[in-house]
Amino acid sequence: MLDDCIDKWYKCGLQRLKRLIDRQLAKSSSKVATPGTEEATKPKPYRFTIKAHIYIGFAVTCIFAMGIVVSMIITMMKMEKGVRLNEIAQSFFSSVSLARLSEKDYFLYGTGLKDSKEIMKGLERLLITHYGELRGYIDYDSSIGLIERYVKLLDSIEELDRERNGDNPLDKTRRRETLQKEIRQCGYMMVNSADKLLSKGRDATDRLMLLFRTVQLYSVVFLILFMLFISHLLGKRVLRAINLFSKYSVLMANGQYATIMSGHNYNDEFSDLSMAIDHLIKELDRQQQILAQSQKLRAVGTLTSGIAHELNNPINNITLTAHMLLEDYSDLSDDERIDMARDLIDEAGRARNIVRNLLDFARESETIMEPICIGSVLMDTLKLAGNQIKLAGVNVDIKITPNLPRIHGDRHQIEQVFLNLILNALDVTLKGGHLKIHAGPSDDHNFIAVKVIDYGHGIPEHILQHIFDPFFTTKSKGKGTGLGLSVSQGIIAKHGGQITVLTKISRGTTFTVKLPITTIPADLANCGERINLSINN
Amino acid sequence: MEKTLKILLLDDEPIVGKRLKPAIAKLGCEVEVFDNPAKALKRIDEETFDIVVTDIRMDEIDGLEVLEHVMNKSVRTKVIMITGYAMMELARQAMEKGAFDFIAKPFKPDDLRAVIVKAAETLGVKLTIQG
Repeated sequence: MLDDCIDKWYKCGLQRLKRLIDRQLAKSSSKVATPGTEEATKPKPYRFTIKAHIYIGFAVTCIFAMGIVVSMIITMMKMEKGVRLNEIAQSFFSSVSLARLSEKDYFLYGTGLKDSKEIMKGLERLLITHYGELRGYIDYDSSIGLIERYVKLLDSIEELDRERNGDNPLDKTRRRETLQKEIRQCGYMMVNSADKLLSKGRDATDRLMLLFRTVQLYSVVFLILFMLFISHLLGKRVLRAINLFSKYSVLMANGQYATIMSGHNYNDEFSDLSMAIDHLIKELDRQQQILAQSQKLRAVGTLTSGIAHELNNPINNITLTAHMLLEDYSDLSDDERIDMARDLIDEAGRARNIVRNLLDFARESETIMEPICIGSVLMDTLKLAGNQIKLAGVNVDIKITPNLPRIHGDRHQIEQVFLNLILNALDVTLKGGHLKIHAGPSDDHNFIAVKVIDYGHGIPEHILQHIFDPFFTTKSKGKGTGLGLSVSQGIIAKHGGQITVLTKISRGTTFTVKLPITTIPADLANCGERINLSINN
Repeated sequence: MEKTLKILLLDDEPIVGKRLKPAIAKLGCEVEVFDNPAKALKRIDEETFDIVVTDIRMDEIDGLEVLEHVMNKSVRTKVIMITGYAMMELARQAMEKGAFDFIAKPFKPDDLRAVIVKAAETLGVKLTIQG
């Protein structure tokens, strides 16, 4: 049982080792084999999230705060030491003073020498006990020496006074005076030393107080500045991202769907958000394309009545010619038969052309952005709408400024926009009325403007604000979907242009489509066409 | 001897006139074809036709105007309108204004001949296809 387990582990371990070696080999061989693909497989940008940013900022602040606390504790400890030193110096001084007072009492009244000695012994004990704290502040040996000498002198004078009854009183008095002088001198030196210690202790305490205050002040200022810096960094990062998003959202609102590009080379929560927005944009774009396509088919539906009528002519010609050819075949000369056959071919070609334009337009196609001449787009659009224009009995004046710069866009999408505008204009124009289409340079630099002008009844104020809304229509049910202007606006915005409308009640409406001219150097050649014609019924 | 009917055919598609002229001529009628409405109107002013066949939708002058013109000139003249499927409303208007009948494009020569024969009958002339 145990052997089985060990065997399994061994095999498993071997397999893992083999896999690891294979992986390493594959890595090294790919590095060697494809040194030029570094660009393609560029390292994934590292992830530096805002959460991590906050945590790091917090951690660094904590470390600094801890440092400050430690420095404060150290200063506090030093302060305590200073205060202690001061206390010792105080008691040193007061002990010396008391001893001297007792000494004076002895010299004046003959009592107190014992007290003085005890005080001195106490002082000696104090100095010995606090050797560590006092070291460096007083000359230890000389202080202890002074105390011992003082006590010894006191002992000597006590001994001298006990020998009162002895001979040679003069000598004794002289000796006493000498001793007294020495005691005073020694006492004075002790007072001096105590005074020095006191002032040293005071100095040390003052110095420490100053240090404490300075450390405290600088710590607080530094911490505030540091926190401001961290907040500034974080705020700047978040604000920059928010500004970027708001900039892109304005673009998106105008229909220009662009991938959000942030300036930094790391990933964070905003990168996730921008990816989500990119996904949303792609989906919106796809939906808009579907909408535009369905609207296009709707426009095609509008065109079909005109197309059907137009198709009737060649079909009728073919029917008549074929029937007559059949009926009179034997009576006809060869030339007449050839003429009829040619007519059949020509009319079939005419029918094919009528349908081809429409099918070309209706076909669902990929967006192809290319340099295009607005003139040719307008002419193609008029060809498409030609039958509708004829049916409506409307005269169209088209004027295109010669040598207009090319625009960069998708031909069929732009055609769709102008078709929508022309069909709308036709709807409000009475039979025998006029439509004007003018293409020329725009007031804005680097733009061209195409105006579709009708002389209909104009658009009332309350309707004007809704005309670009999807599904908004003033046409009767079944005649309009309310998508034409909405889709057109979407298409033009995607091309970086805009549609504006100017209307006067019962005077007419002008739709102006502004489109940016191409800035690609190779496509800068102007359009050569010079078109100034009118379609009249 | 039966009277020869005078027929004017107007369609702005030249092939229509070109092909229908021999077809209608086989009914034993005098046929004049026009592809220009203005010229046709001028001719109508000069001559009284028994039957006028006109397309409704033409670029310069409408078929309805031609109808009105003919009606003003001679009430007796039968006007046959050629129309497309999309123009049923116009055809109805034409009938209200006194058109004899209408025929929808695309049609066969026989279809038009049948309508002309019917119109001739109301004029008291019996037509048969000759030749």
